[in-house]
Amino acid sequence: MKKSVFRMLALMLSAMMVLGACTRGGSDSGAGSGGDAGKTETVTLKVIMEEVPDTDIVLGMLHEFHQAHSGIRLDIEALPYDQMRDKIVASFLAPRATYDLIVVDNPWMYDFASAGYLEPLDDRIQQAGGAYHYEDFAKPLRDIAEVDGKVYAIPFYNYALGLIYRTDLFEEKGLQVPATLDELMEAARQLKSDNMAGIAMTPQRGYKVFEEWGNWLFAAGGAIQDEAGNVVLDSPQARDALAKYIQTYNESAPANSLNWAFDEALRATAGGQAAMMLSYNWMLPTLNNPDGPAGELAGKFGLAEVPGGKAVLGAWFWAIPANSNNKDAAWTFVHWLTSPEQDTKRVIAGGAPVRDSVMDDPQVHEQGFGQEYYATVKEILKDASPLGDGPGAEEMIQAVGLELSAAVSGQKSVDQAVADAAKQAGEIMSK
Amino acid sequence: MDDRRVDTAQRPFSRLFPYEWRMMTPLLAVMVIILAYPIAYSAWLSFRNVDLTKPGRDAFVGFDQYVTVLKQPLYWTALTNTFIFVAVAVTLELVLGLALAVSLKKQKRFRNLTRAILLTPMFVTPIAVGLMFRFLLNNQLGLVPVILQKLGISIDFFSADLALLSLALIDVWQWTPFMMLMLLAGLENLPEEPHEAAHVDGANAWQTLIRVTVPMMKPIILVAVLIRALDALKVFEYVYAITRGGPGAATETLQFFIYKIGFGYYRLSEAAAVSWTVVILVMAVLVLSLWRTTRGRSA
Repeated sequence: MKKSVFRMLALMLSAMMVLGACTRGGSDSGAGSGGDAGKTETVTLKVIMEEVPDTDIVLGMLHEFHQAHSGIRLDIEALPYDQMRDKIVASFLAPRATYDLIVVDNPWMYDFASAGYLEPLDDRIQQAGGAYHYEDFAKPLRDIAEVDGKVYAIPFYNYALGLIYRTDLFEEKGLQVPATLDELMEAARQLKSDNMAGIAMTPQRGYKVFEEWGNWLFAAGGAIQDEAGNVVLDSPQARDALAKYIQTYNESAPANSLNWAFDEALRATAGGQAAMMLSYNWMLPTLNNPDGPAGELAGKFGLAEVPGGKAVLGAWFWAIPANSNNKDAAWTFVHWLTSPEQDTKRVIAGGAPVRDSVMDDPQVHEQGFGQEYYATVKEILKDASPLGDGPGAEEMIQAVGLELSAAVSGQKSVDQAVADAAKQAGEIMSK
Repeated sequence: MDDRRVDTAQRPFSRLFPYEWRMMTPLLAVMVIILAYPIAYSAWLSFRNVDLTKPGRDAFVGFDQYVTVLKQPLYWTALTNTFIFVAVAVTLELVLGLALAVSLKKQKRFRNLTRAILLTPMFVTPIAVGLMFRFLLNNQLGLVPVILQKLGISIDFFSADLALLSLALIDVWQWTPFMMLMLLAGLENLPEEPHEAAHVDGANAWQTLIRVTVPMMKPIILVAVLIRALDALKVFEYVYAITRGGPGAATETLQFFIYKIGFGYYRLSEAAAVSWTVVILVMAVLVLSLWRTTRGRSA
């Protein structure tokens, strides 16, 4: 009996060694043969993007790019958000990169760049010169793309938060656009009726609740990190903001909406069941589109800066992986698409703006969604800050989001939740 | 026979591995590739410090990862939540499944049709079931809250107190048919004589069920419960589709916890360590329960 067990082990071991040798051999031979794809006549760029309207707009512009650059063809793979990051990281680690060009969400930026997975772009930006006008990108966006003094990505589109509200209901009640948290709470109270919530909120655990509450925190005068990057979440302002957030959820949000995220809040607002929401600024054109989700209510929505004026900033960026097989071709495309000329076209087609000059352009106002909209977005982008900037941003956001959700659902007191969130955030970001 | 002996004597490989073992080689090779290698690799990972976003920190760290895991309060919350989920879901499934199986056995007409209809929840992908209930129980769109509101009841299915229970009930909806199927198969194989004897002795239906049927069904019940419990332990889809572990940590389950650490934060070693604590725990429970039944049978 013992002998047979030994034999089985011996068999397994030898098979494992063979396997191990195979995988190791594979990676060795792959490492040396990175850059010879560039010599062929037509370069195919593998690009990963998210399945969102902004990607469709880029797809619509490809035809023009292919005409201008016959040597480069783009092969774009659009995926749902949840699948993207895994695929991108797998491509970073593969002996031969799957993707030559990627889009990066702001919480990933620091970790990707500091791990050496992204190609620094400073030299290329400098070579692009004055016509490219890099300083034209809104400053908070450029700040995210800069890690330890180097630029690793080019802004693609922003998703900073704004206050979306029903102009008709505000007029009816004689309300002003709220400029402070107290005014927001009061407006929500007044707008609430039996079949209408004052404000649709997104207290789902994780990114969503933090993304929303972050605006409340800024409005109360609090901050997540100080200039040096230290976590300063444990503050009287944070407790004030969280207490008010919970009070508003209990008073004015739709009943039983504890696990609501973006979709649910949008549906409630578009369906006339909520008078306000804090959401992405580019939702406004969608809501005001008669063929959009709001139907008959289209045209009755307005966009304003979040109370207090400082918004939570989200943004997508173009970045070239350090192991990309076609860095030059990838840059050619990014340079072309994000140049002032093409970016204007992208924004006119409905893309979320990133360049100041584009938001000021009368042509964009006329052919896009009107001067007022772009002026508001520009104001929002002037003072906006991401949830996390530094190592472990993604994890920090999840940890804080868990504590916030525990407080909103009544499992923890406000003081306890804020203290726990700050403690964890501090530990994670100093790892 | 003679040929074989000559063959064995001539080649050393054959001497080490007799005929039976060589016949098993293909299967063993497949098992090694798809089972042993990944399992061994994950064990190896759990003793190192592999973090995909911090390359260059990889080193052998012994039991450090396990210590980190056991020190996290969230790990213990996830463990408790998972066991509550399994206990609630499997108990309800067993009771409902047994009731359904007993009544189905008595059914005379349309047997196949009713069985087919009752089995359908099993055929739906769990992630789709999760999304379905996310909408069904949604206050804006859902059918269930509307019906309850007509009756004057307002329940927040995903509040801190009820979220885990709601998820367990979704599991009950989907997997009771499986329990029913297993128990029905067991019931139909039971001998008639003990039941007839009980009837002659004047036992009523309830007494017969509890005193005669259930004891005879014990082995099959154990297997069904084990299969379901192991499966319920893997709950992920409902959590992912509906609550993402919230509110707070109310529905943080082990699999979601592992997913978050491994694929959310890329700390593969820590995720592997959590997985191994689960493996050890499950193995212990499995060995204990199987050992008890086999001993019971031989006695």
